[in-house]
Formats: sequence, structure tokens, C-alpha cells
Amino acid sequence: MSIPFDFSAIQPEHFTLAATGYGVVFLSLILLYFIFSVMPKVLDFRFRKQPDAEGHATHGAHHTPKQSGEVNAAIAMALSLYFSELHDQETAILTIKKAAKTYSPWNSKIYNVINFKGAQR
Amino acid sequence: MQGILRFFEYSGFANVTPGHILMVLIGLLFIYLAIRHEYEPLLLVPIGFGILIGNTPFMENAGLQLGIYEPGSVLNYLYQGVLKGIFPPLIFLGIGAMTDFSTLLSNPKLILLGAAAQIGIFLTYLGALVLGFANPEAASIGIIGGADGPTAIFIASRLAPHLIGSIAIAAYSYMALVPVIQPPIMRLLTTPEERKIRMKPPRAVSKQEKVIFPIAGLLLTGFIAPGSLPLLGMLFFGNLLKESMVTKRLADTARNALIDIVTIILGLTVGASTQATTFLTPQSILIFVLGALSFMISTAGGIMFAKLMNRFLKGDDRINPLIGAAGVSAVPDSARVAQTEGLKADPNNHLLMHAMAPNVSGVIGSAVAAGIMLSFLM
Repeated sequence: MSIPFDFSAIQPEHFTLAATGYGVVFLSLILLYFIFSVMPKVLDFRFRKQPDAEGHATHGAHHTPKQSGEVNAAIAMALSLYFSELHDQETAILTIKKAAKTYSPWNSKIYNVINFKGAQR
Repeated sequence: MQGILRFFEYSGFANVTPGHILMVLIGLLFIYLAIRHEYEPLLLVPIGFGILIGNTPFMENAGLQLGIYEPGSVLNYLYQGVLKGIFPPLIFLGIGAMTDFSTLLSNPKLILLGAAAQIGIFLTYLGALVLGFANPEAASIGIIGGADGPTAIFIASRLAPHLIGSIAIAAYSYMALVPVIQPPIMRLLTTPEERKIRMKPPRAVSKQEKVIFPIAGLLLTGFIAPGSLPLLGMLFFGNLLKESMVTKRLADTARNALIDIVTIILGLTVGASTQATTFLTPQSILIFVLGALSFMISTAGGIMFAKLMNRFLKGDDRINPLIGAAGVSAVPDSARVAQTEGLKADPNNHLLMHAMAPNVSGVIGSAVAAGIMLSFLM
């Protein structure tokens, strides 16, 4: 099978599509980048401007101290483990023990059944 | 005796061709990779089994209504969801309902990596034209570089329905082979020092930001590229269901039952669409080659753009270029690969959270690219 290479198949409008397409993808995501770079500041500003009952401007959203993502993740993990009652060691594991039953005619029903006739003789 | 002969004529033994056997082997390989190596099992098991279903030989066009391409067959009805582009938006709804965009919102500059990585789509589009594909076919093949199966299927269903099988199989194969394809490119394009770059922990993101994101994202991308609305509309809708916290039941359904049902039918029918008699063509081989090329270029594009950004960034604002590879939207596998490669360079450097940002922006980027292709070529 020969592979047909035909560079003349690319017309100027194809380049236009490729360049415009890539440009528009970038443009969309750059706009998203700008919006969400500014968003935290806008939201923070909005809450800072909200006056409290006595007319004083409050600082930050409900005075919530800023925690790092790692601290929040650790708190969330701890709460999740607490609410789903997970343990580091499953207690059930300790209860799984092999219960060895020593054979005895006293506790074997089948023994009595088998030997019943013999006992009758 | 005549009845027995007739029965034999209808059986698979009388209709089998070397193509069927080859495709069955490929199906078995997919199932093996999924079960033994856990490469994208949720996709490769249905697709692999679908290949077995589609390539179990039978007498075609004998009025039995069995094959996926025979009108009236059950498989043909299920396949309509693929052909009409119904399943991909539903998959996007589920993806939106299960995706947390917090990492992206906490460090918005990482969005740009998702844009940069789409270069593979447009370069491959030009490459496919050089190889003799028609304009709409070339656009559908280029989208494979976005490493987004549903987007690739959606575009192919609109622009080149006769290539859906090859494009879908190529897209999902490369998505499954992310852990094989990407690491060599990542190592080739980065220095050991760059791979050790530690990024600052993401900040906490407020609920307001999370709720505003899907609304602003939809309006912005929808106005710029309306062709992407079926995909991005559903993606952002699913995300709003999740983040609003008042539609928990709907979000749960979208991210569990709905996406599972659609994945099963989509995977199975796409697999079955690879019927040897229609699938095994020289075109399919070219599509596989171009798809691999597209995927590699996209990976390299993300990494190189991260390196470029580092020229303008200082201190802990710098980006570990490994996460640039996650700009292809194979969620979350390419992010996992970035994490694994990062750990190899520095066992205490966890990149997964950072890599999720370009990963999810890659989903948006590839859907926008698809929308633009549709706007130009429909």
C-alpha cells in the first residue's frame, strides 16, 4: 500500500481554519482565565463592602480565616472518616478465628446415624 | 440433508473471513488489556466485547436483521444513539456532574495548558488533508488528538459518519494507552530539574466561584463557539447540578446510573461497528497512524507551553511542565501519568491535583475546537 502524500491538498482556507480554530480555543480559555483570576477579588471585595448591622464594613467573607488547601483537605478527610465510621484497623478481622472442632461421637449427629444400626445389633 | 446444509450456510463457520479473525483477536486484546493491565477497563471491556459481537460472522443481508449496519436490527437501533450524536452529550453531562473544577479555579493560569494541548487537533487536520482525506473527514480525524472519545464520536457523527468506528476505536485506544504513549514524550521534553519543580498548594475555592463557573463557562464558550453547545452545555449543566448542592439526586443520577448506562451502550455499539467487512480498510490504518500522531503532538504541545510559561513565572508560581501533558483531555489518566512521572523525579512531589486543572480545561478546549470545526464545516 502506497501512502498518498499531496501537500497541494492544503488550500489557504484550510490554514485559515486551523489557525482560527486554534486561536479561538486559546481566546475562549484566556477569557475564562481572566474571569476566574478576577473572580476571587470581586467576590472578596463584595463581601468586604457589606456593612454589618452597626454600619461598619466587615473584612472578608464572614471573618473566615483563610486556610491553605492542605489544611482544608485534612479537615475534610477527618470529617469524612468520622462520618463514615472508618477505622484504621477493621475490628472484624480479630474475630475471624478458625474454630477447630475435634471429632467426637458425642457431638456428631452423622456418627450416631451411621452407627445406630450397629448399636441395634 | 438440505436443511443441515442451509443451517451450515447461515453459521459463522461458513461466513468467516481472515478479517473477522483479525478483528476477534483485536477484541480479545482489548479485553486482555482491560482485565489484565486495567487500561481503561470501563471502556475497553464494552468495546472489546462489542468487537467480538460485531465480528462474529453471519450471513449478511439475508433478512436476518442481525448486524449493526442492518436496518431493523436491535444493534442498529442502539447504534442510532452514536450515529445521531445523542450519547456523547449524555456522557458529558455525567462528566460534568463528577468533575471538580476547584483545582482549575484555584490556579486559573493552568487553563492555558488545556488550550495549548489542542494544537495536535489542528496540525493533524492538516496532515489528514495531505494524506488525501476530505475536509470533514480530516477534521474528524484531527479531534482524536483531543483524547476525548465522546467529542471524537460527536464530531465524526456530524461530519464523517462512515468513519465513526475507526475514529472511536482510535480515540479510545489511545486514551487507554495514555500510560504507554505519554511518559517517553514527557521525559524527552523535560529536564530532571524541571520534573522536580514543586508547585504551591492550591487555595481553597469558595462555593460562589464553583457555582458561577459553569454558568460563566457556558455563556462564554457558547457565545464564542456555538457548535460546542451540545457538549459544553451538558458538561456545565452537569457541573451546576453538582456544585449547586440542591440537586443532589439529579447529580447522583447523572454521574452514576446515567453515565454508566450510556457508557455500556456506547462502548458496545462502537465496538460492534468495527465489523470486519466495513472496518478493515486502508483508511482505518491511516486514521490509526494520524490519531497516534495527533495525540503525541498534543502531549508535546502542552509540555512545551508549560515550559514557555515558566519563562515568565517566578518562584513557586512556576509550573512543573509534566502537568502540561495532562492538557489532553484524557480525564483522569493523563493527570495520573503526570503524578507518576513527577513521583519518579521526586518521591515527595505530588502533582495530581495540579494536573487535574489542565486535564479538565483540556475537556473544554477540545469541545470548543470541535465546535469550531462544526461551525466551519457543517
